[in-house]
Amino acid sequence: MQETLQTLVGGLSLGAVYALVAMGFSLVYRTMGLVNFAHADIAMIGAYAASTFYLTSKLPFAVAMVVAIAVTAAIGLVIERVLRPLENKDFDLMLIGTIGFGIVLQAVAILIWGTTGRAVRSPVRSAPLDLFGVRVRTYDLLVMAVAALAVLGLAWFLARTKRGAAMQAVAMDHEAATAVGINVGRSNALAFSIGAGLAALAGGLVGPMLYVDASLGGALGIKGFAAAMLGGFGSIPGAVVGGLAIGVLDSYAAGHFQGYSVLVTFLVFTAAIMIRPMGVFGERTVSRA
Amino acid sequence: MKLSVKGPSATRAGGLAAIAVAAWLLPYGLGSYSIHVVNIAIIYALLAIGMGLAMGISGQINLAQVAFFGVGAYTLAILTTDSGYGFWAAAVIAVLATVATGLFVGIPALRMQSHYLGIVTLGLALGFINWITNASVTGGADGISGIPLPTLPGIDLSSEYLYYYLELVVCAFGLGFGLFVVRTSLGRRLRAMRDDSLAAGAMGAEIPLLRMTAFLLASLYGGLAGVLYAGLIRYVAPETFSIGNMFILLAMVIIGGRRSLVGCVVGAVGLTLIREWLSDFSTYAQLGYGVVVVLMVVFAPTGLAGIPSRVREFAHRRRRSHTEDRARLRPFQPYEAVETPDAADEPLLEIRSVTKDFRGLRALDDVSLTVRPGEIRGIVGPNGSGKTTLFNVISGFYRATSGQVRFGRRATTTARPYALSLLGVARTFQNLRLFGQLTVRENILVALDRTRTYTIWQYAVWQPGVVRRERQLRRQAQELLERFGLTDFAEAAPGSLPYGIQRRIEIARAMASRPRLLLLDEPAAGLNGEEVQQLARIVRSIRDSGTTVVLIEHNMGLVMSLCERVTVLSSGGVIAEGTPAEVVAAPEVIEAYLGDSAMADVPLPEPAPRQAPAGPTQASASAEASASAEAPASKEATR
Amino acid sequence: MRTMRTIPFRRTAAPAAGTPATLAVDDLSVHYGGVRAVSSISFSVEPGASVGIIGANGAGKTSTLKALMGLVPRGGGSITLGEHDLTRVRARAMVRHGIGYVPEGRHVFPGLTVEKNLLLGAYARRWDAETRATLAEVHELFPVLGEMGQRLAGALSGGQQQMLSIGRALMAKPRILLLDEPSMGLSPKLVGEILSALKRLREEGMSLLLVEQNAKLTFGATSHCLVMENGSVAMTGTSEELSRDVRVRQIYLGL
Repeated sequence: MQETLQTLVGGLSLGAVYALVAMGFSLVYRTMGLVNFAHADIAMIGAYAASTFYLTSKLPFAVAMVVAIAVTAAIGLVIERVLRPLENKDFDLMLIGTIGFGIVLQAVAILIWGTTGRAVRSPVRSAPLDLFGVRVRTYDLLVMAVAALAVLGLAWFLARTKRGAAMQAVAMDHEAATAVGINVGRSNALAFSIGAGLAALAGGLVGPMLYVDASLGGALGIKGFAAAMLGGFGSIPGAVVGGLAIGVLDSYAAGHFQGYSVLVTFLVFTAAIMIRPMGVFGERTVSRA
Repeated sequence: MKLSVKGPSATRAGGLAAIAVAAWLLPYGLGSYSIHVVNIAIIYALLAIGMGLAMGISGQINLAQVAFFGVGAYTLAILTTDSGYGFWAAAVIAVLATVATGLFVGIPALRMQSHYLGIVTLGLALGFINWITNASVTGGADGISGIPLPTLPGIDLSSEYLYYYLELVVCAFGLGFGLFVVRTSLGRRLRAMRDDSLAAGAMGAEIPLLRMTAFLLASLYGGLAGVLYAGLIRYVAPETFSIGNMFILLAMVIIGGRRSLVGCVVGAVGLTLIREWLSDFSTYAQLGYGVVVVLMVVFAPTGLAGIPSRVREFAHRRRRSHTEDRARLRPFQPYEAVETPDAADEPLLEIRSVTKDFRGLRALDDVSLTVRPGEIRGIVGPNGSGKTTLFNVISGFYRATSGQVRFGRRATTTARPYALSLLGVARTFQNLRLFGQLTVRENILVALDRTRTYTIWQYAVWQPGVVRRERQLRRQAQELLERFGLTDFAEAAPGSLPYGIQRRIEIARAMASRPRLLLLDEPAAGLNGEEVQQLARIVRSIRDSGTTVVLIEHNMGLVMSLCERVTVLSSGGVIAEGTPAEVVAAPEVIEAYLGDSAMADVPLPEPAPRQAPAGPTQASASAEASASAEAPASKEATR
Repeated sequence: MRTMRTIPFRRTAAPAAGTPATLAVDDLSVHYGGVRAVSSISFSVEPGASVGIIGANGAGKTSTLKALMGLVPRGGGSITLGEHDLTRVRARAMVRHGIGYVPEGRHVFPGLTVEKNLLLGAYARRWDAETRATLAEVHELFPVLGEMGQRLAGALSGGQQQMLSIGRALMAKPRILLLDEPSMGLSPKLVGEILSALKRLREEGMSLLLVEQNAKLTFGATSHCLVMENGSVAMTGTSEELSRDVRVRQIYLGL
C-alpha cells in the first residue's frame, strides 16, 4: 500500500510535466490541426536555457524560467512562419517539416551546450515532507503547483479572453474566423509560441528532476505525445488526464519492469489508443479529416 | 546527337549498363575505409527503399523503420551467437521475424493515420530501443559481438570488397523488386490509396489489407538491411538503431524524394557519404540536414527526384501554346447495346426506410427507393436535401442509422465500399476524386483491377503471373481510353486537364469496373452545353450496355431528357417520384426548389431538349455545392 | 453595364447597423483554374435597400459573394462601399469596413457557446458596454439565442444555427449584411422564421444582399433581384415582377 502510494506520488509529479508538454501539443493541434514534432526539442532547449540562466547566469530560478520561455516562444514563432505556406494544405509535409526543425534544434543544442549533460540542483532546499508515511519531495510539490497554475492560466486564456476565443474559432472554422475579422496567421503564430512556451516550462521544471542533455527532449516529447493522444488530442482536460495517466503508468512500469518500462508504457498506450483512437476527451469534431 | 537515333528504351538500357559497369568497377578505385563507407551506404539505401515504399508510395507514416532494421540485425545476432544457427538459416528467420514485427507495428494503421500513426510508430520504435538497451538477451548497452561470418562457396566475405558485391546484388534486386511493385497492380493500388483512400476503396481496393501490405514491404527491406548489417559489422549495439538515425533516414528519403525509389537510394547513398565526409563536423552536418529537410518540405516537396519533372513541366508550360492543339478529347464510341432485362425483373437496388443521422442532424429521413435493372433514375432536390448522403449510404461510405439497402439479392446495408465495388456498384464524386499523382491511364487501371489483395502472393513466388495480368489490364485500359476518347491524355496528370475532361475520366474510371449499377453524382456540374449533350449520349450508351444508372443532377434539362423516372428529395425525405413531366409539375417540387408553391400554377411551356447556352463554362461546382458533400464524420475516424 | 438603382424607402437605425452606405459592385469576375465561374457581374445596393441574387445550384451565386468578400480571388472589377474602395481589401479586413457576412452552410463555431459565437462576431470591435448593447439587440431579434446563450453552437438545430450565424454578423454593426443561402437545408417553417427576421431587419433600415436558391424567400425579403445563370446575370427586375415571371422558373429548372 505504502509502496503503491509512493509510486503514485512519484508518477504524479512527472505526470504534471508530461501534462504540460501535452498541453502544448494540444494547443497547436487544436488551432492548426498539426502535431508539432519539434515540440520535444523545444522542451529540451527550454530545459537547457533555464538551467543555463539559473546555474551560469545565477538568475533566480523563476526569472531563469521566464527568460527561457521567452526564448522558446520566439523559436516557435520562427517555426510557424517558415511552415506557414503549408498550412491547411499538406499536413504530412508539415509534420516532416517539424521533424526537420527538431533535427536542427538538437544540433543547435549540442553546438551551444555540448554533448555532456548537466545536473541541475533543486531550487527548493527544504527536506522532503512525510505525508502518512509517504515521502514527498518539496520540489515535486512545486512542480505540481506550477503545472496546475499553467493549466488554469491556459484554461482562463481560452475561455475568458477575446484572443483565446479567437484562437479556438480559427481551429473550428478558419474561413468563418476570417469573415469576423480574425487574422488567422497571427492567431496561429500566437498559438505556436504559447505551445513552445509551455514546452519550455515543462523542460525547465523537469531539469532538477532528471538529467539535462540533448536526449531529454526525446523522452519528454514522446511521452507528452502519448499523453495528448490518450487524453484526446486537442483537449486541455484530456492533456492533463493523459499526462497524469502516463506519468503514473511510467512510474509503475519503472517500478515493476525496470529496464523495460518504456516498452511496457508504449505497448499499453498503443493498446489503449487502438481501442479508442480519439482518446478519453477527444471529439471527432475537433480532429480534422 | 547520337542518342536521338536510339529509342528511349535503348537509352535507358544503355544508362543501366553504364551504371552496372561503374558499380562493378567501383571497388578498384577505393581504399579499405572508403569501401566500408560504401557498404554502409548500400545498407541505408535498402532501408530507405522500404521507407519510401511505406511513406512515399503508400502514404503510411512509418517512423519505426530503424526498429525493423534492429529486429533483423538482433534476431540474426541472437540466433547465431546464442542458439548456434548458421548465418543463412538465421538470416531467413530474422527476415521473417522482422516482417512479423512490421505487421504488428502496422496494426495501428488500421485505426489511425497521418500524425497519429507517426506517434504510435515512433513510440513503438522507442519501446524497442528501450528493450534492446536493457534486456540481457540483447547484451544490453554493450550489444552482441562475435556474429559469425556469412559464408558463400568460393567467396571470402571477410573481405569488404567482396561483401560489397553481395550487398550490391541484394540492393539491385531490392530496388528492382520495389520498382516492379510500384509500376504494377499492387503499387498502383498503394499509390491510389495514398492519393485518396476513399476513392480507392470505392474502386475495389481493400484499404486495411493494403495498409498492412505497406508495413510488410517496409519491414521486409528493414529486415534485409539488418541481416546485411550484422553480416558486415558482425557486432550489433543499440546506438545504431537510435531515434537520431531514424530521423537521418527520414531526411534521406525526403531529400532524395519520397515518391521515387531511385530518389530514396540517391538520398541514402548521398547523405551517408556526406555524413562520413563531414564526420569531423557531425553536429554542423546534422544542422545542415535539418535545414535542408525544412527547405525541401517548403520548396521542393518531391525531393531531388522530383526536380527533373519540375524542370520538364516548366519547359512544357513555356511551349504549351503549340502543343495544346494536338491533344484533344475525341468522341465517345458507344458501347454495343445488349438486351435490357425485363422491367418485370426483381429490383436491382432497393432502399427500405433508410434514415441517417449525424450527431442529432437527420440527413436522411425514412427514404425508400427501388431501382429496376436497365433504368436511368434521376435524383433531384435542393441543396442540402440529402442526395449525396443517399449515395454515400448506397456505396458503403456511410452506414445507415436504420433501414436496409439491398443490391441484387444481397443485403448490403453494412457492406464496405470495396465489397460493393466488387459486387458491381461504381460511382463518381461530386467534387471529383481522381488520383492526383497517377496518370489518367493509371487511374483507369486501378479501377480495372478486380483482383483481391491476397493475390499479391504472386509477387513473392510467381512474378510472370503478375506480368501477364498487367498486360491484360493494359490492353483493357487502352480499349477503355479509346472508347471514351481519352487517348491523347493517357499519360497526363488529371489535375492538369480541363474540368470537362476530368469529369469524363471519372465516368470512364467508374465504368472500368464493368458495374451493374453506376451512381453519378452531379455529372453535369461545371460542363458547358456541348459537354452536357455528350454526357447524355454517354449515359444512354452505358445504360444500353446493360448498366443501370442512378444520377443526382441539378440540370433539369438533362434529367428530363435522360431519365425515365425521377425521385425528388427535400430535407432528407422523398417528396415526389414519377416521370420527369409529372415531377416538374408537382407543386411540392416547385415549392422545394423555388420555395413557392404558388409559382406552380403558372403554366409551363412544353419541355424541349435544352439548347446549350453559348456562354462561358462555369465550374463553381466545388465552391457552390461543397456544403452538401461535406456531411460530417466520415467513416475514417481519425484521418 | 447592368447597374441597378434602388430607392430606399425608409431610414431608421437597424439593430446593430453602422452608418449605411451604398455597396457598388462593378464588373466583378471569378475564375477557378482558368475556368470562368462568374463573368463581369455589376450591381449596387443603396443604403437601406435589399437586393437578392437568385438562380439554380451552380449558377455562380456563392462565387460572386465569396469574391465580394475576398474569400476567393477576385478576377477583375471593382467594389466600393460608400466612399471606400474595397477592391483590394483582404477578407479579414472586410468586416472593419462594414461588411457583415453570413456564409453558406452557416459555419458557426461548433465547439464554442452561442454567446462566444456572438461576441466573436464583434471581434473587430472593442468588447465593451456598447458590445453588450448590440448583444441585447441581437437577442431581441432572435430571442432563442439569448435563451441558449450557454449551449454549444454545434448542439443547436439547423435553424437556430442559421439565426446564430446572422446574429454573429450583426454583432459587428455592419453597414450592409451579405447572406449566402440562409434557407439551405431548412424546413419550410424555419425558412418562414428566417424570412420574418430578414423582413424585420429590412424594416429597420439594414441594407441586405441576399444570395438564395429559394426564390420565394428572396422575393419576400428583397425589393430587387438578379437572376443568375451560368455565371452571368440572366434577368433583373423588381422582386414583384420577377415573382410573376415564368422565365425565372425556366432558368431554375434548366428548361
